[in-house]
Amino acid sequence: MPDAAQRSRDRTAPMIEFKGTRVRFGSLDAIGPVSLSVKRGEFLAVIGPSGCGKSTLLNLVAGTLKPAGGEVLYRGAPVDGVNREIGYITQKNHCLPWRTVEGNIRLPLEFRGYPNGEIASRVTSVLQQVGLAGFEKSYPRQLSGGMLQRVSIARTLAYAPDTYLMDEPFGSLDAQLRLRMHEEIMRLWHQTGSTFVFVTHDLHEAITLADRVVVISRRPGRIKLVVDIDLPRPRDVIDLQSDPRFGAYFKQLWDALDVH
Amino acid sequence: MSIERATGDELERPSADSGNVAEKRGGSTRFFNPRRIDIYLQIAFLIAVFAIWECSAIYFGTDFWTSRPSAIAQELVNWANSGLLWTDLKLTLMEAGIGFVIGSALGGLVGFVLGWIRRLGDFFEPFILSIYTLPKIALAPLFVLWFGIGAINKIMFSAMLVFFMVFFTTFQGTRQVDRELVENARLLGASNFGIWTKIAIPYSAVWVFTGIRIGLPYSLIGAIVGEFVAAEAGVGFRIKESTAFFNTAGVFAGLIVLMAISLVLLGALKLIERRALRWQVHNSMDGVVP
Ligand SMILES: Nc1ncnc2c1ncn2[C@@H]1O[C@H](COP(=O)(O)OP(=O)(O)O)[C@@H](O)[C@H]1O
Ligand SMILES: [Mg+2]
Repeated sequence: MPDAAQRSRDRTAPMIEFKGTRVRFGSLDAIGPVSLSVKRGEFLAVIGPSGCGKSTLLNLVAGTLKPAGGEVLYRGAPVDGVNREIGYITQKNHCLPWRTVEGNIRLPLEFRGYPNGEIASRVTSVLQQVGLAGFEKSYPRQLSGGMLQRVSIARTLAYAPDTYLMDEPFGSLDAQLRLRMHEEIMRLWHQTGSTFVFVTHDLHEAITLADRVVVISRRPGRIKLVVDIDLPRPRDVIDLQSDPRFGAYFKQLWDALDVH
Repeated sequence: MSIERATGDELERPSADSGNVAEKRGGSTRFFNPRRIDIYLQIAFLIAVFAIWECSAIYFGTDFWTSRPSAIAQELVNWANSGLLWTDLKLTLMEAGIGFVIGSALGGLVGFVLGWIRRLGDFFEPFILSIYTLPKIALAPLFVLWFGIGAINKIMFSAMLVFFMVFFTTFQGTRQVDRELVENARLLGASNFGIWTKIAIPYSAVWVFTGIRIGLPYSLIGAIVGEFVAAEAGVGFRIKESTAFFNTAGVFAGLIVLMAISLVLLGALKLIERRALRWQVHNSMDGVVP
């Protein structure tokens, strides 16, 4: 058995593993069985029709939900209770309205008992990273949706989790802003080397961002198709769309989604 | 529209807001500005009302029903000279004030506990709902039986009214909390203690403040109604006593004193809003508060 430090250095060891995982809500079979492994440092996108269990998969990794059968492993160990090593970003930004931007970003660091000096330097650094410098003292009600989503990303970035779970994070943003956020997310992924699991119903978004795209079938959600996205990095969000390979991936995934 | 444009617009929004505020402030220093004219018109309107009031008493003999401003002013002067105005005022304010503090503290605390501890809240909910629509003023006679006719009675009655206002607001507001907010805090690393101190208490504090804002006038209502029912002094007692002697001017003098108290309370409310709820006071408030 390799020790934890050795295992975490090994980039081929899976970060997340679903092994015959099933989820039931009462009499409803929500997902399963699903078997899937996410490599350390990988950018994985998950697509599928609404209600197929994409969010449920993320909740399993976050530990806010237990599987009815099979296993969910994080770094080789079963997820037991809330998983604090992940950052979870959803369409709702969960910003506390009574705290300023700065106060919201401090929150996880306060929870985790960081010393004050460390908190201050991390807050300054992540504010720079997401382009919110100068908005430290603003309250959430003063910010637009795009900026709030940035606060929520900055808040996660501040405690540098190993894995980012993102559940349609840009679903409520307009098209231009989304492209801009895609650039930022790819930059973050390069900078942090963290593992990203990105749920979306937008095929463009999935192909633009991911190393691999997983298509989930209609309920009960199962893995229908896994596609490696073999597009060179760094990627340009605009140029990419005119790449002939982009169109081919789009067609392949679209057919698998079976929208009709 | 290019990507840069979209983001630029987005980033500019907050500064554009503060720019508007600066413009409004700059505008108010000019002499003939609409807001200043409004104030003159309001003063003129008030003078006109008093004049019509006085004239109607002179020409139509309506003194019995609505008295007249000069008589009310005289009544106020007499009341002040007798020294009773101050003792009445002090008594009523003391009753309302203590009742307000007790009611707010208990209402906030009970609302917070029942709001967050779901099982406890579910258990008490039917009982709470059955009291919700009960006109609590109807309990005033009962309070005389329990607490006599002294100040304690009014304090308790006022505390009870404020309690229910603050309690209902805190309880219902707290129960509305998005459970995902708490779950998200756990993912961010919160312990149980962290949830209570950094999520639950600040979240409910907002509702406690909202409840206090609604409850504050009720502290005065409680004291006055208590004095109406049974008392030996206080502004409410003086109003009732004047009525018994068909002293309409005395009744109106009492009402004017109550109005003055209300204005002071209104100022206190504004202060609470500005201090405690700064983060949710709308930008437009900057234009409203002189
Ligand atoms: N807490 C829950 N209780 C009952 N049913 C649920 C719950 N969460 C999700 N479901 C159901 O499970 C299915 C998958 O949900 P979800 O993972 O949210 O889908 P997706 O994110 O792919 O749209 C849906 O049919 C949804 O109604
Ligand atoms: Mg979902």
